[in-house]
Amino acid sequence: MIQQTLTTAYSPPLKLVGKYFIAGIISYFLLCLILLINNDSIIGFHFQPKVLAITHIATLGWITMIIFGAMFQLVPVVLHVKIFSERLAEINFWIFAAGITGLVYGFWHFNTGTFLTTFAIILNVAFFLFAANIILSMRKMKEWNFTATHIAAALFYLIITAIAGLLLAINLGHPFIKISHLQYLNLHAHTAFIGWVLMIIMGVVYNLIPMFSLSHGYSITPGKYSFAAINVGLLGINAVMHSPELNIMFYIFSIIIALGIILFIYQVYLIIQKRMRKKLDIGLKHTVVSFAILAVVTVLGIILTITNASEIPNLTLVYGFLILFGFISILIIGQMYKIVPFLVWYHRFGSRVGKEKVPMLRDLYNENIGMYGFYLMIISIPAIAVFTLFNIKILLLIFYSVLFLSALTFCFNMYKIFMRKN
Amino acid sequence: MITKDFKISKMLSAYPQTLKVLLNASPHFKKLENKVLRKTLASRVTVEQAAKIAGVDLNYLLNELNKSINSSYTDTQKQKETNMNEKKSEGQIPTEINFEPDKIKRLDVRPILDSGKDPFMDIMANVKTLNEGEVLLIINSFEPVPLYSVLGNKGFDHITKKDGDVFKIYFFKKSGDAAKEFTDKPDSENSTEETDFENVIEIDVRGLEPPEPMIKVLEALSNVDEKTLLLVHHHREPMMLYPKLEERGYTAVTHKIEENYFKVLISKKKI
Repeated sequence: MIQQTLTTAYSPPLKLVGKYFIAGIISYFLLCLILLINNDSIIGFHFQPKVLAITHIATLGWITMIIFGAMFQLVPVVLHVKIFSERLAEINFWIFAAGITGLVYGFWHFNTGTFLTTFAIILNVAFFLFAANIILSMRKMKEWNFTATHIAAALFYLIITAIAGLLLAINLGHPFIKISHLQYLNLHAHTAFIGWVLMIIMGVVYNLIPMFSLSHGYSITPGKYSFAAINVGLLGINAVMHSPELNIMFYIFSIIIALGIILFIYQVYLIIQKRMRKKLDIGLKHTVVSFAILAVVTVLGIILTITNASEIPNLTLVYGFLILFGFISILIIGQMYKIVPFLVWYHRFGSRVGKEKVPMLRDLYNENIGMYGFYLMIISIPAIAVFTLFNIKILLLIFYSVLFLSALTFCFNMYKIFMRKN
Repeated sequence: MITKDFKISKMLSAYPQTLKVLLNASPHFKKLENKVLRKTLASRVTVEQAAKIAGVDLNYLLNELNKSINSSYTDTQKQKETNMNEKKSEGQIPTEINFEPDKIKRLDVRPILDSGKDPFMDIMANVKTLNEGEVLLIINSFEPVPLYSVLGNKGFDHITKKDGDVFKIYFFKKSGDAAKEFTDKPDSENSTEETDFENVIEIDVRGLEPPEPMIKVLEALSNVDEKTLLLVHHHREPMMLYPKLEERGYTAVTHKIEENYFKVLISKKKI
């Protein structure tokens, strides 16, 4: 009936969130640079040192780094609680950064055994600290909401992913996993992508898109079914993967997950449909394209699961690339174009509003350059996917250069925003 | 069909003819003719609460309201309503009152209401300054039912006493806290302090993209003095606005009216 909140709101300092964001952006820059330099070795079988190293720069250094920063910023706003400990979040950053650096180095030189295991343990510490910090923050929530459900589920899968990753790292040095290492890797990757990244994206997107596109009055029923389907499917494949004779169940659960993702895309479509601001700005343009690619990736994922298409050379590689770049990276870049200008503006100019002239959000970055970056990105990503499949080296070199160029535009704009002091 | 959970403001905007029914039912509803009050008070009050406030039988009121909007309102529906409401109709039985007189802080909200304003902010401000063991006595011409749940959430119990036409409601910390023996704190000089908002500035920031709502609010602050209340119509709870208000010496109370509609009441902090 009546909900009442007094001034208990809280926003963590820009220094903390900014650290995560800047580290994430630097990782993205390095990621695109390393891909460009090594474009001729990102081909063939996906289980090879350089691909593993690059994948972890993308998943940990770029994607998870940004998610961590975003969570410390958004949890207070969306869940109406303070972060349990900012100090812990600060320490968390350095442990996490050290863990990523070591792990990526270990993969690159395939320094398995104690070295890789040590850094896998350090990363596990970082994940547990993060999960603990958020859970302890959430305990103070007065009113549970849909986003909180997603965050709680995502944290659960983050921990599963981390433990599975640690076991895999140990297994590389001292083989002990009974079923195939690759099958376990498949599980690690899908729990990471669907359980951790997608789940958190769902929770956050349901908040961020309406916040910036000013949508309301839409049904959230597809979102609820989507959440249920994805969880049932994911827990299902985790449960049956140890029993090869239950292969049929594995297919069924995979299809349930795919249906869940389609429902999620439909939910996002419903939200964007109901927006009050009809013009798609740079952030929403990225978002729309990323969801189109997610639809393609989902279909591809199902094909890979239920047929033996994974025997087609490079198809698994293309699948992973489309997830990491086509869906997640485009989406993150789009959201960063909304969040970062707002945050910097809020902390540097918010207190001056009404007292002196302050710049508008739009003045903080160059939207034209950002849009060039967007077009370069949406051209290069499908091109890289296609030419990886057909292994056309010269074209790969060209389009990895285009992708790198688009990354430069993004980094330039982010640099411009963070540097803006007055 | 109008049900007991309908918000008065919603009902009035959807069916303007119901205002007449309310006015006929009880003179208490006269206050609804005032537009500011209708916006602030009526949005928090349901039909059920309104009936209790006015001392009118709920079923009778519902019946009259529904008749005014729809002549085909049938008796079976009425019957259902009656059954649903029966459980709730047990009133509060006032218990013995024996508070120490010097621990009681009085707030008579009748003059505030008579001047056409919403006393909610004053009540909340008084609650905030309440010392350990003190009791807030609210004097009003009707029973402020919605306040019970608002203060209930803040850990307050209440005892209501009817004195002729006047309601006296004693709010005190729920037992446990209240049971604790209190050290006598020097009674602050502000026990009779009352802020009367003379002006209400309203701004509507719905449909603006961040950070526009924040800019609009912060810019409006320059016109908000001790006697002014800034009423902001917002599409969500502005969590990030609060620290910026705090910084400038303002305080905010937010009411959720419905999904995507929040009323933020901003006023200067008392020193």
